Amino acid sequence: MVNGRNVERRTILKAAGATAATLGLAATTGCGGDGGASADGTVTIRYAWWGAEDRAERINKTIELFHKKYPKIKVKTDFQPYLDFWKKFNTQASGGNPPDVFQNAIGFLRKYDAKNILLDLSEQAEAGHLRMEGFRAGLEKFGEIDGKLLGVPVGSNSMALVIDKPVYTRAGVKPEQGWTWDDYHAAMKKIREKTGRAGDTGPYNIMYLYDLYLRQSGKAFFTEDALGFTEADLTDWWTKAKEGVEDGSYANQKKVAQIKPKSAVAGEISGGEFTWDNFTVRYTSEGKSEYGLAPIPTTDGKKTGQYLGSLMLSASKRTQHPKEVAQFIDFMVHDPEVAKIMGYDRGVPATQAQYDAYKPTDEVNKAIAAYEESLVKAGVLEPITPHPNGADVCESAFLRIGEELGLGKRSVAEAVKQFFTESKTALGT
Amino acid sequence: MGTTVTHAPAMEGLSQDSEPRHGPVKPERPAALKRRRRRENLAGYLFMSPWIAGFLLLTAGPMIASLYYAFTDYNLFDAPKWIGLDNFSEMFGDPRWRHSVQVTLWYVAVGTPLKLIAALGVALLLAQSRRGQAFYRAAFYAPSLIGASVSVAIVWKAIFSDDAIVDRTQKIFGIDVGGWTGDPDMIIYSLVALTVWQFGAPMVIFLAGLKQVPRELYEAAEVDGAGKFRRFWNITLPMISPVLFFNVLLETIHSFQIFSSAYIVGGGAGGNACGPADGSMVYTCYLYVQGFENSRMGLASAMAWLLLVAVALVTAVLFWSQKRWVHYEEGAR
Repeated sequence: MVNGRNVERRTILKAAGATAATLGLAATTGCGGDGGASADGTVTIRYAWWGAEDRAERINKTIELFHKKYPKIKVKTDFQPYLDFWKKFNTQASGGNPPDVFQNAIGFLRKYDAKNILLDLSEQAEAGHLRMEGFRAGLEKFGEIDGKLLGVPVGSNSMALVIDKPVYTRAGVKPEQGWTWDDYHAAMKKIREKTGRAGDTGPYNIMYLYDLYLRQSGKAFFTEDALGFTEADLTDWWTKAKEGVEDGSYANQKKVAQIKPKSAVAGEISGGEFTWDNFTVRYTSEGKSEYGLAPIPTTDGKKTGQYLGSLMLSASKRTQHPKEVAQFIDFMVHDPEVAKIMGYDRGVPATQAQYDAYKPTDEVNKAIAAYEESLVKAGVLEPITPHPNGADVCESAFLRIGEELGLGKRSVAEAVKQFFTESKTALGT
Repeated sequence: MGTTVTHAPAMEGLSQDSEPRHGPVKPERPAALKRRRRRENLAGYLFMSPWIAGFLLLTAGPMIASLYYAFTDYNLFDAPKWIGLDNFSEMFGDPRWRHSVQVTLWYVAVGTPLKLIAALGVALLLAQSRRGQAFYRAAFYAPSLIGASVSVAIVWKAIFSDDAIVDRTQKIFGIDVGGWTGDPDMIIYSLVALTVWQFGAPMVIFLAGLKQVPRELYEAAEVDGAGKFRRFWNITLPMISPVLFFNVLLETIHSFQIFSSAYIVGGGAGGNACGPADGSMVYTCYLYVQGFENSRMGLASAMAWLLLVAVALVTAVLFWSQKRWVHYEEGAR
């Protein structure tokens, strides 16, 4: 350090070179999204989705197939678990570098539309790069908001009571379409008495179920820009839930929290829970018992409030290859081979062509198909209520505060107050 | 720090006697001297340039930006909107924020002393010459080397989760509380256990401090009939108090900044990011939730700056307190 006079010129040059190299490196890694087409006309699009290993394997197979049919379009994939997916997506999107195509859901449509992230795919549909016909049960309308086509459904699913069949049989409980909430509560008590196990994990923090409950009396969880229920409504719902935990109808909430991420049904803590019908597949791989589907209880013996929910594919407004993105989405929702690979992983396929191409052979998937068909036959399906910008934050607040309530960390009054405070902030009302 | 002060005169001496060593007898003219200085400075800056560029781009720039965001409503997508002190007033009115402050203070107040006691205790054992000493030192230091990594937090979660080794061991003794990481009241203890387990870094510093205590003091005390505890209390502790102060300072600051272990043990991928019923929701965890889950970067920035101020205050209090309990050698201060 002291004999600075002897610093050789070469050393300085080297240092300068190293600096330039570091900066250069930073510059290259800085921008991941290369939008340009290469010399031979091949374009690369990025496709991001949430899920786990099993879905990854299936998706990679579908992309191999896509590469064979469209050799000029290269697809780069990226996946994370659900919550991490949205964190990464937010960061990328705010930096102006979202993936070209990505998996999406109803709770996020308005949010990202308001933030000017989503591509209106109707132009591509008109240009013939994306076919919007051949969808089942009106699903093609699912991703339409204010006349814009913001997402294309890949599969449909519906809320159900997924049950541990032997437990229900042992208790002699046979849920049928049109059973009421009173029947349901009586059944839960009976299951506890006869089998010693709770009949249900506890329904109070599942936003989509509460939505159905509200819809049965003409309300809904969300309106277009706010919550569709009052503090009194929620107090009523959560008071019943608390009673259920206290009298043992619902599972021990502490145990439920402890065994996460395993579900309480597969962990043999409860005999069933309200969730999406395609989750039966997951429980079957997690648990040892046999799992089946039961209908949603009703208020008036008829109306369940149900609708088909769906995963969608959306495109980024900033994509430089809207045509290729549309072709990719078209392939994913219409190609029969894709359905054979994906199965019911993302719900029952949205298009008739894919629905016909994959006929499940195993009991679990057969049961899911039968359940959805029974809904169509019973005529209970209705259009979905819109989810406003901020709905995702409300959902996670509902989940968390409901859990705290179940664990006895909050009183019903406190929980209701906290939920409304957080939701109003999230929805900006 | 007292130690840096003692070094200062020595460094001055070095730079003073360096000049005549190279210098020719004939004194340089001022202009030539100036030119040479400038050249040397240039070389210096050139060598520092990667660091300077990194500092400006990756530290200073973002810090200034985040200070600005702290006074805005910024959701990452729309342009930030100036709202003055609203972020701060919202924080104080938010029960979840107050809860995160409580959890963090509890963690710092319980975790830090336990970790330092463990570090000092093991350092005292390892300070004596024994066979296999090098092995033990390495073995106890290892956890803090790998401790900050995500993988350790994942392993920790696996150890303390339901039906895992800790749970099963408890059951042998008839204690059935289930897994710690899924229990809103227990999860914070597993985080404290994790930080205590990583006592290696302060331990090494304690070891160095213990080696500095002159043997004669112990010998003299022994002659005077002082017992083991007496010798520890009246000789060891005062003699290593500067090192102790350093460790308290460093570990307290570290504890305030706990994030990755809490985030991963408390949920990380899937479910609530901050443990069941916010059981392990430390301050930085809530900051992360507000920033990345709720897309409220302005509020998150405000929280970050408040944390900085809080840590600075705690540090100031510690420095102020040191004149009461930290003993430096004569003339060293």
